[in-house]
Amino acid sequence: MSWTNWFRISGKSLFGIAFSLHRLTGVVLAIYLCMHLTYLTSLKFGKEFYESLIKTTVSPTFLVFDILLILAGVYHGVNGLRLILHEFGLAYESRRTLLYAAFVLTLVLWFVASYQMYRFVMGV
Amino acid sequence: MGSEVTFRIKRFDGEKSYWQTFKVPVYRGMTVLEGLYYIKENYDGTLAFRASCRMSVCGSCAIKINGKPRLACETQILSLGSSNIDIEPLDNFKVIKDLITDFEGFFKKHEHVKPYIIRKDDNYENPTEILQTPEQLYAYYDFTLCIKCGACYSVCPAAAREDYLGPAAITAAYRFNADSRDGGSEIRYALVCGDNGVWRCHFAAECSEVCPKQIDPAKAVQKMRVKAALHTIKSIFGW
Repeated sequence: MSWTNWFRISGKSLFGIAFSLHRLTGVVLAIYLCMHLTYLTSLKFGKEFYESLIKTTVSPTFLVFDILLILAGVYHGVNGLRLILHEFGLAYESRRTLLYAAFVLTLVLWFVASYQMYRFVMGV
Repeated sequence: MGSEVTFRIKRFDGEKSYWQTFKVPVYRGMTVLEGLYYIKENYDGTLAFRASCRMSVCGSCAIKINGKPRLACETQILSLGSSNIDIEPLDNFKVIKDLITDFEGFFKKHEHVKPYIIRKDDNYENPTEILQTPEQLYAYYDFTLCIKCGACYSVCPAAAREDYLGPAAITAAYRFNADSRDGGSEIRYALVCGDNGVWRCHFAAECSEVCPKQIDPAKAVQKMRVKAALHTIKSIFGW
C-alpha cells in the first residue's frame, strides 16, 4: 500500500470525508503535541527561553494558526465522540443526523473558542 | 443531454493502465452494463468486464461508475445525469484486466468466517425440522441479502490493508451468529476478534453508503464488535 493511500478519501459521501478529516486532524494534533512537549522541555533551559518562545507563538501573527488548530482539535474531539458512540453499538441508525449535528457543534464550538482566543491574544 | 454519452474507461492490459473513451448511443432505461456490451460488440472486443445475471442478484458486475461503486446492471445511464461516464475497476482489489478484479482473497475471507450454520446435533440420517419464529428470522434477515459484490470492501479505508477481513465477511459472520439455528458463535467470535477483524474498523460507514442491497454492513460490524467485546471480557474472566 502506498503511503498516499493513507490520506485517500474513500468514497464520495460525507462519511468518507468525515473519516479523512478525522485522520488529517489527528496528524495535525500529533504534530502540535510534539511542539507542545518541545516547548515544555524548553523550560530546562530557563524561564526566559521558554517565555521568548511563548512570546513568538502567542501573538497576533500566529493567531490564524491558533484558530486553525482549535478547529482541528474541536473537530477531532466532537467527531471522536460521535464515533465512540457508534462503536459502543449505539445510534448507528441515526448516524446521518449525528454527523450533521457533529459538524454544526464543531462550528459553534470553534467560533466560541476562536473568539475567546482572539480576545486573549489581542488583549480586548 | 443528447442521445449519446461518452464512456471513459480505465483499462489495464496486464502491464500498464490507461484511459480510453467511447461514444455510446443511449436510450431510456439503458444500463451501464448494456453500454459496456455495446462497446464490446461495436468498438473493442478486447474490453474485459464481468457480468452474469443482469438483474442485481449475482453481484458480478460491481464497478466504479463516476467514482462510486455500483452494479453496472442496475445503474441506468440517464439516471447518472451526466454525458460523461467514468468507469473504473473496484478499489482495494488487484486488477486482472480492464474492469475485472481478483476476488480470490475476498472470497477466502468470506470462507474464513464460516458462513454456514454450525450445529452440534447434525443428524443427516434422521433430519429434524428446526423451527424459527418470524422475530428470530428478522434478527438477521437483512444481512442474508448480501450478494458479495465487493462494493463495501472497495470503499473501506481499513481494507486498504490486505489482511483486514472487511465489512462483507464480518457481516456474514454476524448474520450466522444472529441466526437462532446456529451454534457456532464462539468459533466465529474467535475468528473476528483478531487484529484483522472487527477492531480494525474505523466506522467510516462508507460500506453502508454504497451497498447496492442497502444491507448496512457498518451496522453489522458495530453489532459484531459489541458482541466480540463482551465475548472477550467473558473469556478473560472465565464466565
